[in-house]
Amino acid sequence: MSGWGWEPRSSGRTSLPETEFKLARIALPNGRALALVTIDNGEDHTKPTFFGRAALESLELLLPRLEEEDWAALVLTGKPYVFAAGADITEFPNATRDLAIAGSRAGHELFRRIRALPYPTVAAVNGACLGGGVELALHCDARTISTAVRHFACPECFLGIVPAWGGTQLVPRLVGAETAVKFIVANPMRQNRVLTGPQAFELGFADRLLEPAEFLDESIAFALERAAEGTGPGVRPPDMAETDVFRKARARLDDQVHAAAPAPYKALDLIEGACSGWSFEEGYLAEEEAVGELLPGPQAQASLYAFDLVERRAKSAPGRPDAEPRPIRKVGIVGAGLMAAQLATLVLRRLEVPIAMRDLSEEALASATGTIRSELEEQVTKGRYEEGKARFLASLVSTSAGYEHFADCDLVLEAVFEELETKKQVFAELREHTTPEAVLATNTSSLSVAEMGADVGIHFFNPVALLPLVELVHTPDTDDRALATAWAFAEQLRKRPVLVQDAPAFVVNRLLTRLMAVVLEALERGTDPDEADEAILRLGLPMAPSVLLQMVGPRVANHVLETLHAAYPDRFLLSQTLANYAEGRDEIAVRERRPQSRDEILETALEAIADEIRHLLEEGVVADAKDVDTALLLGAGWPFWLGGITRHLDQTGISEKMLGRPLAEIGVGAPTA
Amino acid sequence: MHELREVVYVDGVRTAFGRAGPKGMFWRTRADDMGVKVVRELLRRNPQLPPERIGDVIMAATAQVGDQGLTLGRDVALLAGLPPSVPGFAVDRMCAGALTAATAGAGEIALGAADVVLAGGIEHMGHHPMGEDVDFNPRFVAERLVDPSAVTMGATAENLHDRFPQLTKHDADAFALRSQRRAAAAWENGVMQETVVPMSVFTDDGWRLADRDEFLRADTGMDALAGLPTPFRPGGRVTAGNSAGLTDGATVCLLASEPAAEELGLEPRMRLVSFAFAGVEPELMGIGPVPATRKALELAALTLDDFGLFELNEPFAVQVLTWCDELGVDPEDERLNPYGGAIACGHPLAATGVRLLAQLAYGFRERPEVRYGLTALCVGMGMGAAIVWENVAAGD
Repeated sequence: MSGWGWEPRSSGRTSLPETEFKLARIALPNGRALALVTIDNGEDHTKPTFFGRAALESLELLLPRLEEEDWAALVLTGKPYVFAAGADITEFPNATRDLAIAGSRAGHELFRRIRALPYPTVAAVNGACLGGGVELALHCDARTISTAVRHFACPECFLGIVPAWGGTQLVPRLVGAETAVKFIVANPMRQNRVLTGPQAFELGFADRLLEPAEFLDESIAFALERAAEGTGPGVRPPDMAETDVFRKARARLDDQVHAAAPAPYKALDLIEGACSGWSFEEGYLAEEEAVGELLPGPQAQASLYAFDLVERRAKSAPGRPDAEPRPIRKVGIVGAGLMAAQLATLVLRRLEVPIAMRDLSEEALASATGTIRSELEEQVTKGRYEEGKARFLASLVSTSAGYEHFADCDLVLEAVFEELETKKQVFAELREHTTPEAVLATNTSSLSVAEMGADVGIHFFNPVALLPLVELVHTPDTDDRALATAWAFAEQLRKRPVLVQDAPAFVVNRLLTRLMAVVLEALERGTDPDEADEAILRLGLPMAPSVLLQMVGPRVANHVLETLHAAYPDRFLLSQTLANYAEGRDEIAVRERRPQSRDEILETALEAIADEIRHLLEEGVVADAKDVDTALLLGAGWPFWLGGITRHLDQTGISEKMLGRPLAEIGVGAPTA
Repeated sequence: MHELREVVYVDGVRTAFGRAGPKGMFWRTRADDMGVKVVRELLRRNPQLPPERIGDVIMAATAQVGDQGLTLGRDVALLAGLPPSVPGFAVDRMCAGALTAATAGAGEIALGAADVVLAGGIEHMGHHPMGEDVDFNPRFVAERLVDPSAVTMGATAENLHDRFPQLTKHDADAFALRSQRRAAAAWENGVMQETVVPMSVFTDDGWRLADRDEFLRADTGMDALAGLPTPFRPGGRVTAGNSAGLTDGATVCLLASEPAAEELGLEPRMRLVSFAFAGVEPELMGIGPVPATRKALELAALTLDDFGLFELNEPFAVQVLTWCDELGVDPEDERLNPYGGAIACGHPLAATGVRLLAQLAYGFRERPEVRYGLTALCVGMGMGAAIVWENVAAGD
């Protein structure tokens, strides 16, 4: 059993329920039998089946029966709603090269035995099918897929590794090089995009697309048809792709990740190998080598850490108070700018409750309701609503220059211009016009929540519809009920809250501003702006600093810098260049002619970030370095392979150099909630 | 008002019947999904029928809660993928649920309200044990409206033995043994292949195929039967061997007006002649089919001698023996339950009626010389149901 060189099972780590391959013998009228194998972990669909060591052992136990008995056909399927969700990644952290290779080889050996079975084999993809699930299905000689499948993908590259149970070799042989590149490389790098059952069928991953009602019955019938026809394993034509596919794919990757993540490049090599005439043997060996190199590497390990943060830890809502949230039946929004209109649309779409909107400018209100209406109409175009529904939702918005329609709001979100005095006045007026139970929240990106008189901060990120983060800002006066209500509100909007203390610019903007300051400094020393961008882009960030600055708006950025400068004058120096930009003058205030190299800029930037994170933790702005990472992943779109950023800082020794120890060990300035 | 139209039975199908409870094959399968399976199979077998032509989907269930709640006929129609324009409803007459679904559908067809109706029943007795969630009116007991034994079906069967002492436990066991033998043969000779559709079901052991009833005891004998305990009364006569077990199952049939069947190219198998429901003392509910049969015969102006087949439900052997005794039919008569009955296949309360129809239709085709057949069952709280059918294949 332990012939794969893995440590014995009795190590006692049982974080996931063990997956078994369960065989049923279906007697056929002709006296023969069909093997019906279920991948099952004995749990319901909320605990998907994964392939860990136990699953492979179970498959190894089963294979002799499949090989030695006389079967008419094999149908391999999953428990309800799940085919198989891939390898058990809880076994991946701290994996060594040898362990990674052994795991890959074990899968190759077992799956190849399925491929070698001398009778028709059908994978009946009844539900979620990811990574190793796809690879197992591809080792059968045909597939049925349900129209209800919503997750069919190979997300390995997203996690910093490559499909290593045959995926890179079988996918191109089945669907061609171009689709294989899209499926294995491009989709994972586009926010881990997945296919639906009908899409997978269209692209050629399955032979039959079946309705869910009798999915397995019809899959069995399909397998029996193949058995009756004597259809054996299909000989797949080698796909001699034009090298163009790979050249273009590499160019796109360069634009996107700037060579900062090795996995997608490695996956391209493997697919190209498969298309250039590799034998299965060669391809599988290459996969084993690749995953042996990648899995223990910094990017994969950081990705696993990041994945755990956003998929598991953020969902467990660290810091959420136990208090019962108040129901939200009406929402007030103060301000009618672009942000306010975006927030109103989001509230309408997710909560479907009346909205009171207030702005002194009638023009701004008219423009906001116009924006809301057109956003809702876009949803109609996308087929998400009937026209009548969109009309109704738009009608839920009432606008006024006063607060008279705020009296019955359960939660008010302030989104006016970032000026403390204005905000103070807004909250003073709100107190008069709302009930004492109403939660009064601000969407400020940098000002003090306590000082303006808000109960709590709910800081969204631009573009609101896309970025999942909200920073939930609590002050010493925030009561648990208000915080719980704001938390529930954020979750109903399908956002992921990270709890932060009331401190200037909170977490994401504070770190981005510190990074920006390094770039501005480099410019003022005469560094070419493109060089400065390139220096930072080498981290593989989603956009260059100059692009980010344009998106945020130089005025807003300068305002945040001023706020931070006021609080931390030593670390946040004012920038004449940014002030110029804010005034609409595209003029770098060059102070000297001593351009910095890319390496210098990047190093300085990372050191500045490490230093700032230390301050965040020491001040207790967040409770844990993991919160910083979660915020950067979800609010700034920083890539998984940096592990937010603290993993990268620890891996590269920058934390050690700056702080004397890894950030993962610093952890804690207790938040004074 | 329309002229009344003839109603014909075209086709019917059931799931295999499973043992109720955690050890039964349907334990982790939803009741409504079982209904969906038989509806889709019926449509698959009758591709000439455009689904939008179905005028109503009538589904019976005794326990209309949980996975048998939500107006079962409509629920199943939508889940089976029928167009939203096809309506549906749920009925309950306990064990006669599916027969009542069929007669209700026949009424719609006869009156011209529908051309084609799907009628059947579902009972997942594992998910919905008998009497669960029932709030008996205390007046039943306080005012002695019914004997307390009336609510326990096995006790009513013991009551039949009391009332008709000539019907012995030995007779009951002998009848049960015949039922098992005939059912075993029926699984070999094609009737079950035609009327039972295999369904994949998820179990603790993974997926498997529910393709055979879980009540078959081909190897049982008189001695084995004689030794079984009598759970309803110490020293009683009713045992697990001479009664039907608690069952999960679903059935559905396709009824049509004669002109619609012709128009759509659906092959009629049986023509509905008459039907009747009757009430009896609740504590003797097993006798219900006797007055129901008499009434249906009277309406059809027929006598038992005109009949070549009887499909009677067998919740308890003594219940069938009572019917035989009262109407003068030999329990060993080849016309009676030629493919065995509920003792060997199970009795999912409201689903059973259509099993009787499907087996009668099969029997008719095998026996073109037979012109009339009867389907009948007894009903809890003291009722009986009977439908008289004419064999469309019978020569004139």
